[in-house]
Amino acid sequence: MKHRKRKRIIKLVFVNLVLILVCVLTFVPILYAFSVSVNEQNSLLSSDFSFIPKKMTFENYRKVFTEEPVIMWFQNSLFLAVSTVVISLGTGIPAAYIFSRRKFPGRNMILQLLILLYAFPSLLSMTALYKLLSPMGLINTKMGLIIVYTGTMAVFALWNMKGYFDTIPVEIEEAAMIDGASPIRIVQKIVLPLAKPTVAVTAMMVLIYVWNEYIFAINFMTGEHTYTLAAGLYSLQANETSGSWPVFSAASLMVSVPILIIFFALQKNMASGLTSGGVKG
Amino acid sequence: MKKSDKKPYNQKTGNTIVSYLWSAPSLILICLIVIFPILYTGYISLTNMNVYHWFTYDFIGIENYKEALLVFDSGFLSALVLTVLWTVVNMILQLIIAYLLAGLLNTNGLKLRNFYRTLLIFPWAMPGYVSILLWKTGMFNSQFGLLNQWMEKAGVSPVKWLANDVSAFICCTVVNLWLALPFMITIIDGALQSVDRSYYESALLDGANWMQRTWYITIPAIRPVIAPSVVITIFTTFKQFDVIYLLTQQAGAKTGAHIHTILTYAYENAFITNNYGYSSAVSMIIFLILIVFSYVINIKPKEES
Repeated sequence: MKHRKRKRIIKLVFVNLVLILVCVLTFVPILYAFSVSVNEQNSLLSSDFSFIPKKMTFENYRKVFTEEPVIMWFQNSLFLAVSTVVISLGTGIPAAYIFSRRKFPGRNMILQLLILLYAFPSLLSMTALYKLLSPMGLINTKMGLIIVYTGTMAVFALWNMKGYFDTIPVEIEEAAMIDGASPIRIVQKIVLPLAKPTVAVTAMMVLIYVWNEYIFAINFMTGEHTYTLAAGLYSLQANETSGSWPVFSAASLMVSVPILIIFFALQKNMASGLTSGGVKG
Repeated sequence: MKKSDKKPYNQKTGNTIVSYLWSAPSLILICLIVIFPILYTGYISLTNMNVYHWFTYDFIGIENYKEALLVFDSGFLSALVLTVLWTVVNMILQLIIAYLLAGLLNTNGLKLRNFYRTLLIFPWAMPGYVSILLWKTGMFNSQFGLLNQWMEKAGVSPVKWLANDVSAFICCTVVNLWLALPFMITIIDGALQSVDRSYYESALLDGANWMQRTWYITIPAIRPVIAPSVVITIFTTFKQFDVIYLLTQQAGAKTGAHIHTILTYAYENAFITNNYGYSSAVSMIIFLILIVFSYVINIKPKEES
């Protein structure tokens, strides 16, 4: 018995060591970026670089704000993200509710079609989208990007929320309907409070998508002042050489913070809120 | 008297109209931004639209498709082969590593389980493109990348990690694993938690070793649970664009490696060489492959019967 206990302890120590090692390895790129961003001596090129900076500085973070129009990029990103989330939920919730609750001609066909569409990467229709938006004067406008983002996420929003609505029992709604409540009231007062996890996760997925999207942003928008954070960061790394790497890493980490906060705040909802199998963030 | 199930005709039509009214905004958006562009891409694929023929393109039939599928030099077929290889390699590594790590997390008596778990899923929470760019500059850069600093310390001359095909492929795989493992670990970890412990106890009594327990108990038990997520991951891996594009071939910053997945190939033809007709044909072929693929695997999200 004693022997077995000892064996178990050795095993646990070993497991802990392996996991610590894996965690450390996981964090190497992020820690390195962080230490570069706060390191005062620009000792990047020398081989005596150490993870713990000898002298701390926030100069690089200050530079992000003073030398690059980051605040403007942040405002652009925020505006796009919030608009897209609002429109996605505004159009997605009623559609998802109807597809979950009502049977009507064409319903199954549309649902099948949506699965197929989900397989199509929006990147591939970029030329067509450009050709479609440019005669309407929507290229190089925020409106154009919002339309593209909302449309791209619409299939996901509809399917994901419909999947969750399906799991909410209809009995309560039927009772309310007999009491004479209108469908809009039923959705407002009964369905939405019950569907909070999926609405939150859907909103988060849309928000993260917009926050991280760079390829449409750089192709459809020109000019530094129209950039989103993602596009701005992309331009920071692409057109400058070694000198800006500390500034770039500072900017990268700052851009990530809001997403990290949202992700970990909503992490508990992830399992229940993503129904159709969903997508990865 | 019980109300008859059949509603009068008028009410049924009214119901349909109301249903469509409610879903109209969403469906219109999908038609405008998803369906119409796909159809339009199909149309462009039959023309010779490129940077010289942006407005004055001609209809050339299936020439673009012939070029993509029959001319090996065009690069599409080799991109397709590489994409399949990429998907297979990544999925195998992902499943094995995630399984091992999730197994470690589920060791009996591990006190810091949640702590490790939170740390391990951290890369999932980072914005994907930020992580990729940090890897590109922070790790792989030939001057101040960490890998080369370590190489230098070890007395080895620096390596241009992203400059040749094989090492670039390995680098991309490493980054993709870093990005994708958290999701897989979460899924397998959740599945492992649902396995009935009593199976293991009886297996241990029968003297089954770790391999046997894994093969005969764990894998059959978790397979149905993880299957949907694995299928989704196969799709995302197959459609991977960011990792390869950002690491090796951003406009004006090509690193010298020529690894193309079908998506980066389509993108390059559209926005770098501006051969829109051809790129659209490639896009349509990719779409067809994805449709066939999803029918073969038969992923139909569960519907109420």
